[in-house]
Amino acid sequence: MIPLDLSVNRRRRRLAVDPEMPLLWVLRDHLGLFGTKFGCGIGACGACTVHLDGGAIRSCTLPVSAAVGHEITTIEGLSADGGHACQRAWLEEDVAQCGFCQPGMIMEAAALLRSTPEPSDEVIDQVFASHICRCGTYCRLRAAVHRAASLSGSR
Amino acid sequence: MAITRRGFVGTCASVGLTLGFRAPVLANATGLASFDPNVFLSITPDDVVTVWVTKLEMGQGVRTLLPMLIAEELEAEWSRLRVEQAWPGGKFKGLELHTSGSSSAGEHYLPLRQAGAAAREMLVGAAAEHWKVDIASCRAERGVVHHLPSNRRLRFGELAARAARQPVPKTPRLKPPAEFTLIGRPTRRVDGRSIVTGAARYGLDVTVPGMLFATIERAPTLGGRLVRFDPAAALRVPGVREVRAVTAGVHPGVAVLADDTWSAQQGRAALMIEWAPGPGTPFDSDRFLASLPAALAGRQFKVRHEGDATTALSSSVQRIGATYTFPFQAHAPLETQSCTADVRGDRAELWVSTQTDVRTLQQAARVTGLAEDRITLHPMLVGGGFGRRLFADFVAEAVQLSRDSAKPVQLLWTRQDEIRHGYFQPATIERFEAGLSHDGTLTALVHLSSASDLTIYDIHEGRNIWTDSPKPAKADNAYAEDETPWGAFDTPYEFPTLRVDCVDVTSPVPCGPWRAVEYPSTVFGRESFLDEVAHATKRDPIDFRLALLPADVRAVGARLIDRRRLRAVLETVRERSGWETPLAHSATRWWGRGVAANVYHAGSYLAMVAEVSVARDFSDLRVHRIVTAVDCGVALNPLGITGQTESGITWGLSATLFGKMDFQGGAPVQSSYRDFRVMTIDRMPTVETVILPSDAAPKGFGEHPVPTVAPAVANAVYAACGRRIRDLPITPEKLVE
Repeated sequence: MIPLDLSVNRRRRRLAVDPEMPLLWVLRDHLGLFGTKFGCGIGACGACTVHLDGGAIRSCTLPVSAAVGHEITTIEGLSADGGHACQRAWLEEDVAQCGFCQPGMIMEAAALLRSTPEPSDEVIDQVFASHICRCGTYCRLRAAVHRAASLSGSR
Repeated sequence: MAITRRGFVGTCASVGLTLGFRAPVLANATGLASFDPNVFLSITPDDVVTVWVTKLEMGQGVRTLLPMLIAEELEAEWSRLRVEQAWPGGKFKGLELHTSGSSSAGEHYLPLRQAGAAAREMLVGAAAEHWKVDIASCRAERGVVHHLPSNRRLRFGELAARAARQPVPKTPRLKPPAEFTLIGRPTRRVDGRSIVTGAARYGLDVTVPGMLFATIERAPTLGGRLVRFDPAAALRVPGVREVRAVTAGVHPGVAVLADDTWSAQQGRAALMIEWAPGPGTPFDSDRFLASLPAALAGRQFKVRHEGDATTALSSSVQRIGATYTFPFQAHAPLETQSCTADVRGDRAELWVSTQTDVRTLQQAARVTGLAEDRITLHPMLVGGGFGRRLFADFVAEAVQLSRDSAKPVQLLWTRQDEIRHGYFQPATIERFEAGLSHDGTLTALVHLSSASDLTIYDIHEGRNIWTDSPKPAKADNAYAEDETPWGAFDTPYEFPTLRVDCVDVTSPVPCGPWRAVEYPSTVFGRESFLDEVAHATKRDPIDFRLALLPADVRAVGARLIDRRRLRAVLETVRERSGWETPLAHSATRWWGRGVAANVYHAGSYLAMVAEVSVARDFSDLRVHRIVTAVDCGVALNPLGITGQTESGITWGLSATLFGKMDFQGGAPVQSSYRDFRVMTIDRMPTVETVILPSDAAPKGFGEHPVPTVAPAVANAVYAACGRRIRDLPITPEKLVE
């Protein structure tokens, strides 16, 4: 196998893996980055959401070869100290229950706020309609996105 | 490190806790002398108070709640508390971490406060002795003991070594609730930070050196058998190491073990397997649902009889009857099942997201033949339990693979595996009949419930539900003695005559506990039927319920139901929902409100009003707002209670609007979140929760908000557009009919 060069959380990584392997499994099985979760394998739940050049993508359906040449950011790389506005807002709103879906939710929110600094409820619903939280944290999730928007804005 | 143990049996008999008391304290490996008054907490000289959580966290907030109980009485500084997960065995031997039935809060309310209070009294006693002052002049507060007259103070850490030499108080003083500073305060979860940074570790988030990654193709039909398989093509997939038959789980299967998850899944796709159809093969769930009314003619078991409802019904002027059905449901937790197992000769180590240490260890011991104390279980954070992780079929599979391959194995269930091969909420039917007098007064209520054995219990005990001969018939009083079905036996309402009976229904679908277990189907039926009777007799549905609820405490079997508390939540939800102000229809949609109420195991009381709109062409139903009033005893963590209300409502809405698991030809039909749809944010109503002040014993709240959702929504649909929903889910076709 030809080695692939990846940039993950601003670190260069060289890996010899099947180029068709979904990025999710490269992150988890080969790089030990466990914060990105497996939920469905078909892009239907959003638990595996990471950033590719700052935009939110589903890592469970993206072949790793398609990530070459792009900057990959996972929940571990979102901030050095857990101080990203979304992470702070999530704690202040006490969003998480089991927490399994939350890294994917936070990555989605961080990407959303970059393109839409003050999203309306309708936009939030539209963007997060493809994310599943079986614990049902949707009310607090919505509040946390608004709070993160105001935290980002006041910086 | 020399530790002597004094025997100390705590006052924790209610949960069978034995507090191992340790003293005196000597330097340990880190050079710190610690005060370990019981297995729940430890104080070191650097002022760190560590609390061990002896239940399992799955999002219900137990890792926050149990430490609150200790810290409240200990007078520890909350922000400096360190919370650790307990494990089975070792110093926690004798404690069961098994977590189910919303039981943690109630069972730990007194014992953990006593554990904290005993430690506090020992710390205060040590300070008073050191200062040579009257103990009554000393007080503990936020991690410090003060001597008030001289304004001297000693930190808990400074007192740790001395406190360990204090006598153990037999009956430590507990605070009256009016003095609580932490209990009752909205408290954010303690492990939130690890979750939002991705550091939290769930079942799959572990690597053991040399481990293989496994996936299993299981029998496609219920009770299906493995005839033969050809591993050659799978073994040619790069990274695949082994292909093995698996027999230890619920369904037989063929496992592929590989260097990583992706290789294992590629290998699985290449497997050539011949299956023999199982005894469950002809099973069709829609036919089964259609056959349920006929099944009600079977043997009836007495559940609860009060007065002669049969005669009262037959002599009534008017009779109303209806039946309600509830389909099979999957749990579909976001984290699929997984287990990492390392079986090596005379010992084994497991990493599992589980609700049950007990069954996990039982299964591992069964498969390996090892004694349970040779098996180490690392309980991982649970990515959603809901009852699915109360059984350990997937643990048995992983343990078998590690045993057979003599390597550590990490088994992952895919989403398809999770939805197809779990166990399910059984499909049920509830039939109700009411007798009415001339003026519309109720004279009789007859409820015929149905119950399906939760066969996962039998499977766990080694019974093959598809091929073994039927179990011996139940005794006539089996249900009445068990006080089941829940929601049928413990109906809180007072009827002039009442007859509740139950019929067994059986299917080849493996069934097991699902959030709130029997309540969702019985309460859907009961609360929908009360709504039907209220409308038929032209009474307001809330007034109608209140008229059936004397302000008293009613003994029902061994339960004491305080109907004043149910009245209070109904009256509160009436006011807070704006019930008296009708919703106006719009040009395109009909609007309406519906109510439902329930008592959960005589411990928590809840009433819920749903606000919905239905498109005038019946193409669409929207739930806009749900208002809930709850009284679950002392509100330990209001932020947790509102969170669980939001959670239970979302769970209930998934079942109300979308949830239905189908079987055709003995095979599960759904296999993903695309065809087994659950709630998403765009369908989420506004949720408002009112917590009534209460000094009653606290009752956990993980399950209770679920059962009232379906009837509140169905009753609101009727109020909006006159369509009566008697089977779930409420799909648009049912609105049109």
